[in-house]
Amino acid sequence: MKRYDSVLLRVFLWGIPAIAVLAFSASQGDWTSADPAGWLHLLNRGFGIILALWMGLSLFLSLRMILSEPLRDAVLTRLTFIRERDEREALLTGRATKATFLMSLAILILLFGLSAIQVSVYRVPPERAIHGKTGMVTMGVGFCLLDQAERKISGTVVPRQDIFSYAGLPLSSSAVILILIAVQILFYNISVRRLIR
Amino acid sequence: MSRCAMQFKITSRLHVLRAERRMTQEQLAREIGVTRATIAAIERGDYNPSLELAFRLARFFDRDIEAIFSVEEGEQ
Repeated sequence: MKRYDSVLLRVFLWGIPAIAVLAFSASQGDWTSADPAGWLHLLNRGFGIILALWMGLSLFLSLRMILSEPLRDAVLTRLTFIRERDEREALLTGRATKATFLMSLAILILLFGLSAIQVSVYRVPPERAIHGKTGMVTMGVGFCLLDQAERKISGTVVPRQDIFSYAGLPLSSSAVILILIAVQILFYNISVRRLIR
Repeated sequence: MSRCAMQFKITSRLHVLRAERRMTQEQLAREIGVTRATIAAIERGDYNPSLELAFRLARFFDRDIEAIFSVEEGEQ
């Protein structure tokens, strides 16, 4: 790990409690209505600059972790509790990593399937009945490259009474990413413990 | 069945050699540069060491590798 990576990482880590304190103090009062020439306004401005710098640093370090292998190794091995003290532990880490990768892939495939399918069970008015049947089931598969503001189920022009409607994952993309990170760390540690036993 | 398709089971005399030297697993591990769990796994037969580690053990006990590790052949 390069020296400036190490320094920036320390600044980032030491910044976390500082940001927490700033966030707490900012939530205690209405700083926006403070006198523009007063010290409270200046303090608020200072806090804003510190927060912006810290956010910029966190983005920079995230990018550096992708590009720099030593930084990635140093940070992520600690975060995921990976230990490779000898050749046996390196072998077990490899096996657990493979298991974790395949598990993540299986989850991703499931999530993709769940996000793509659309199912709707509903009733239509008697005058719209088909062969005397008012209960309807519509199914579809959709894939969108970009997030839409609002998901729509195709063929909703008929007035109907929804019984069940599913149009993709209700989770936000941030929640899905966070769940995947947690699953990876958890499953890796479970795999390693199972292999070591 | 060809000899290449045979399954090998490697057994070690590590615990015997270690006992002869009156060493604990922890002491041997420290001398060899591995963890105690690795020494225990080799002794139980749960882990086959790499050639490098096998040579390190052989050198430490001043024996040939085959004096520490032996192979039992079995059908797959």
